[in-house]
Amino acid sequence: MTMKKKNDILSRLFGKEHRPQENKHNQPADADSGKSSDAGKGGGTGSVPGSDSGASGEAHYSDHNHNIAPDHTEDKYPRNGKDGKPEVDLSSGKYTKVWQGPNHPGVTGNMSLELTICGDEIVDAKTHVGYLHRGFEKLFERRLYMQVMPTCLRMCVPESDTNEYVFSEAVEELSGIEAPEKAKWLRMLVLEMSRLQMLLRVVPGQGGAFGLGIGVQWGMYVRELILDLFEELTGGRIYHMYMLPGGVRGDLPEGFRERAIKTMDEVYRFAQRIDDVMFNNSVFKKRATGTGYIDPSWVDRFGIVGPNARAAGYNRDVRKDHPYLLYDQLEWEVPVLEKSDVYTRARIRWMDMQVTADLIKQILNKIPEKGSFKAPTPNALNWRIPRGETYVKAEASRGEFGYYVVSDGSAYPRRITLRGPSYTHAIALLEKMLIRTNIADVGAIMVSLQTCPPEIER
Amino acid sequence: MSKLKDILSPFTAWNNLARDPVTIKDPINDRPGAARYRGFHQNDIEKCIGCGACESICETGAIRMVEVDEVETKEGDSGLRPEVDYGRCCFCALCVDICSTGSLTLSNEYIWVDEDPEAFTFVPGIDKKPWDNNQDGWKKPEPDYELNIKERVRMPEMQAEERENSFVEIVKGYSREQAIAEADRCIDCGLCQATCPAHMDIPDYIRAVREENLKEGFRIMYKTNPLPEVCGRICTHKCEDVCAMGHRGDPIAIRWLKRYIADSVDENEYQEALQQENPKDKDKSIAIVGAGPTGLSAAYYLALMGYSVKMFEAQPRAGGMMRYGIPEYRLPYNALDQDIDYILSLGVDIQYNTRVGKDITLDALHEKYDSVLVGTGLHAGKSTRIPGTDHEHVYQAVDLLREFSKGNEIPISEKIVIIGGGNVAMDITRTLARLQNQKYGQVNITTTSLETEDVMPADQEEIDEAREEKVNLKPGWGPQKIEIENNKIKGLHVQRCLSVFDENGRFNPQFDESQTDFFEGDMLIEAIGQGMDISYLSKSIRDGLDFTQRGRLVVNDYFQSKQEWLFIGGDIIQGPDVIHGIANGHKAARGIDMYLRGDLRYE
Amino acid sequence: MHQFLKEIQNRFPIHDVKEQRKNLTLFTTEKEQVVPLLTHLRDHEGFTHFVLLTAVDWIEEDLFQLTYILNNPEKKVDLGIRAYIGRENASMESAHHLWEQVATYQRELKEMFGIDFPGSPRVDEEFFLEGWDDIPPMRREFDSKKYSEETYFPRPGSKSHDPGEYMKQKLYSDDYEEEE
Repeated sequence: MTMKKKNDILSRLFGKEHRPQENKHNQPADADSGKSSDAGKGGGTGSVPGSDSGASGEAHYSDHNHNIAPDHTEDKYPRNGKDGKPEVDLSSGKYTKVWQGPNHPGVTGNMSLELTICGDEIVDAKTHVGYLHRGFEKLFERRLYMQVMPTCLRMCVPESDTNEYVFSEAVEELSGIEAPEKAKWLRMLVLEMSRLQMLLRVVPGQGGAFGLGIGVQWGMYVRELILDLFEELTGGRIYHMYMLPGGVRGDLPEGFRERAIKTMDEVYRFAQRIDDVMFNNSVFKKRATGTGYIDPSWVDRFGIVGPNARAAGYNRDVRKDHPYLLYDQLEWEVPVLEKSDVYTRARIRWMDMQVTADLIKQILNKIPEKGSFKAPTPNALNWRIPRGETYVKAEASRGEFGYYVVSDGSAYPRRITLRGPSYTHAIALLEKMLIRTNIADVGAIMVSLQTCPPEIER
Repeated sequence: MSKLKDILSPFTAWNNLARDPVTIKDPINDRPGAARYRGFHQNDIEKCIGCGACESICETGAIRMVEVDEVETKEGDSGLRPEVDYGRCCFCALCVDICSTGSLTLSNEYIWVDEDPEAFTFVPGIDKKPWDNNQDGWKKPEPDYELNIKERVRMPEMQAEERENSFVEIVKGYSREQAIAEADRCIDCGLCQATCPAHMDIPDYIRAVREENLKEGFRIMYKTNPLPEVCGRICTHKCEDVCAMGHRGDPIAIRWLKRYIADSVDENEYQEALQQENPKDKDKSIAIVGAGPTGLSAAYYLALMGYSVKMFEAQPRAGGMMRYGIPEYRLPYNALDQDIDYILSLGVDIQYNTRVGKDITLDALHEKYDSVLVGTGLHAGKSTRIPGTDHEHVYQAVDLLREFSKGNEIPISEKIVIIGGGNVAMDITRTLARLQNQKYGQVNITTTSLETEDVMPADQEEIDEAREEKVNLKPGWGPQKIEIENNKIKGLHVQRCLSVFDENGRFNPQFDESQTDFFEGDMLIEAIGQGMDISYLSKSIRDGLDFTQRGRLVVNDYFQSKQEWLFIGGDIIQGPDVIHGIANGHKAARGIDMYLRGDLRYE
Repeated sequence: MHQFLKEIQNRFPIHDVKEQRKNLTLFTTEKEQVVPLLTHLRDHEGFTHFVLLTAVDWIEEDLFQLTYILNNPEKKVDLGIRAYIGRENASMESAHHLWEQVATYQRELKEMFGIDFPGSPRVDEEFFLEGWDDIPPMRREFDSKKYSEETYFPRPGSKSHDPGEYMKQKLYSDDYEEEE
């Protein structure tokens, strides 16, 4: 596809807003951030925000960034110790420990934050997880491969289909089975529908975290329409259990194509409305702009993926970089923005939402009428997978989402582990990002990272 | 300007005041689950066989197989039914997808509630629920969607052209990969075990194939069947008729898996694999009349118990019908000998060419031995007794098969007509077809039976293979008269047979006299069944036995006759087939043991 | 084979190289070589994205397998690096200084497998399991079913029957004797 044509797709959707990155698909696009990008590539010994050597990226962004203090040598902030962590003297009376959580506005699942605050500013943060540990990876040890399917999808509750996909794909890869073409199209359809319903929550949810509830109601309504489609296609609304090793569990119902395409119009309408009430809202702008800034240099240092990385100028999307299923047969372009703050990340998800709706329409028109939707597989009760290991990843709405599967040749997996985006976003990254932000913004920052606690602890 | 827009733009939300609400007013009634919705279970109780595949696949342990009063345990149906605990069920519907019969489905009901928590555990289909007749809900997806392989692994066989003039075994046996793939299809329900006359541990030895623990599989088979090489080839495999997989696909090839295990153990490894010996620690001795399946099986188990066993066989070799009835292309002699040799190696004594009743009397055996088991089988061919059957070129199938097995020449002509629709008829048909091919270079045999093909007692594969070997099969005709001209057989007159049995299941064939046919042939063979020859029972013994009104011998559960020292089993009592003989022999052996300990009386 | 693999092979002892897919290669190295290798891959071979670190318990061989997965965003390839360490007093050199999120993975492995990473920040702090007093639960010898039966109070519920065994009792119990 030519660059011109690519740009057409995005400019149709987003006008001038999208700035394509020519020949720089994997590096921060903005020339200003070149310096910080080099610093990031230099390795992990560089600075972190709040450290006494100063955060890179502040220089060119400080005018937006009201919550990174201009001068961190002020007494207000504790000095960093040898381990790079602030040394807080609680007996000084300057600081207070606050336990925030485990519920946060707009976050699915539970996790707590142990915040050390000075006034209403955070000087140190630790995340605490363990509210949702269900031990899935242990439970898999005594489950047949087919039995893993209805269990694994609970590892990330709001976007369960990515679990089904990467697990099925891993089992297929290890056992040398290929899903039929139709199954691949149906899997893509479900993965994109799943991304869409997730984005319909999280895009207006960003407003919700600041107290703008109305968009959440609208988003939930459109999401329910998507869930209706899921119910028709898969028999379930949240846990679809639709993909399984070998293929999928059903063809398109009659008339589904037309109904789904019609529903996509609701998505575009919603995108317009949320643009009016949230993105063009002076209060939202004031709260979101400059808040929770991610410097491009952090992307590799913290393992940042998905929209959080793409908002920082990195064109990274597993669907493009490692095309799986039949994504290389679709025409689309990955939205990339710069200056990754809460506003930009919400905006990039808003763009993703429309790109996804567009992809769903493309997929619906390409699903073949004929053909099988499941390859023959051995008896599910005795299915032994040849010894081997693999790592299979897909692009979830939050970024790279992968399963590492090890088989010892028996009917039971030796090890299945999940690499979820929130594992890095909500622990290592969040702990650094929260320093010097206002406690009122914590929820918004967590939503802007699309924190998903269930995928952290599995 | 843009600042002002940012203040005004959110007010567009007021536009919604003019929109219609999107809420569903009465969701309980207006919003049924979708057609594929995964709601509460439904189970078609008549269709369900209680195989427990649903329980095995359930990853939450929500399904338990429970006893229900409404269903009886019978062959092919455990009588158990799945109970679902909705405190555990995750509504994944894998139970539906794997259901052997397709009886289990999910309804689209999702709003049912109850105050009693125990109400959320019930047996679908037995405990009546309002959604039992809902049409919508999750059904196993169609087509091409299976969580198992419906087709059995094809058995490699000699092609028709290769085999049509050869007595080399047709079936080649599974390779390691084929056997494991076939064993993998088994869902381990164990429904087959009750139907097998010998109650072999079928799921266990199939598991041994899967786990490549073949010696263990061999030991499992010998627990209930000391003739696995034979049964692995020619068993009537009643187990496969009730196999859960057979409801929607091919049953597991249980017989071929048994053969695979038996073939995998070499003759000289038997002792090492089984580690058995005759302790000879009992001072009682037993005579066995007839070295067929019943006699051999009993001899094996009695020898292991420590008894001295002596067998008397009328023919020059052991095996009975297995040797003298079944053609070599189905059961090669070396396979049979492997089984027999092992039994004899346990210190079982055998005297050949000794016909009890002629060479030695049963009374003499009674005097010399503590107990006697007779398993003399059915070796006397029955005749149709239609006009012409007394002609010298009308033969009995069993006689020809026996003579041929002994290596003697048997009469063979260019055009043969055979009467019979069972496996013996197929055996003689296919044996003679091979001989015709060898002698004349072509086959000209007409085999006719009363039964139409769908109810012919012969195995379907026998019928198909006979056709492949160019035999002219004519099912559904009743023989009327043999046409004889100048003392030469010309052929057989037949009438269309409408039905074989009456509504009571009695043999009572009905004919359509207007439909007739004539099958040409210069030699005619009857293969319509065999009778027993029990002339060896002297009058004094016979008078002490019980017979039914229809002349059948009566024995108790342990095959003990009213003459308590005398045990009778095999085809005379039950069958006719090998596996019943083996089962009878095993049980009679236990009966004899009990009798000799003084624990068993005929009642 | 990828060019970079040849480069690596010249510098580091690697074996059991398997190209699982064209964008995923796995290989094994010695445990002492892991951190130098990771550093080299990050700084010179463009594997700047750290994907995951996890362990596999091969209890039969008394070994833990550690798997590090890296990604090269330019070349768009993933690399899996395996190293084996003994299960007894399992300990591994920490790689927390290379990527910020590595410390989290190491903290999890300490808690779930009992693999120590000396020097890794907060490696001894409780992570998922507050107040856990049993052996590290992801070790194969930890029996989760036994643990739950001893710790919780399952509702007894109905008795389940094995169909084959049930039919034996119902239909032919006296035809059958269990030998030995």
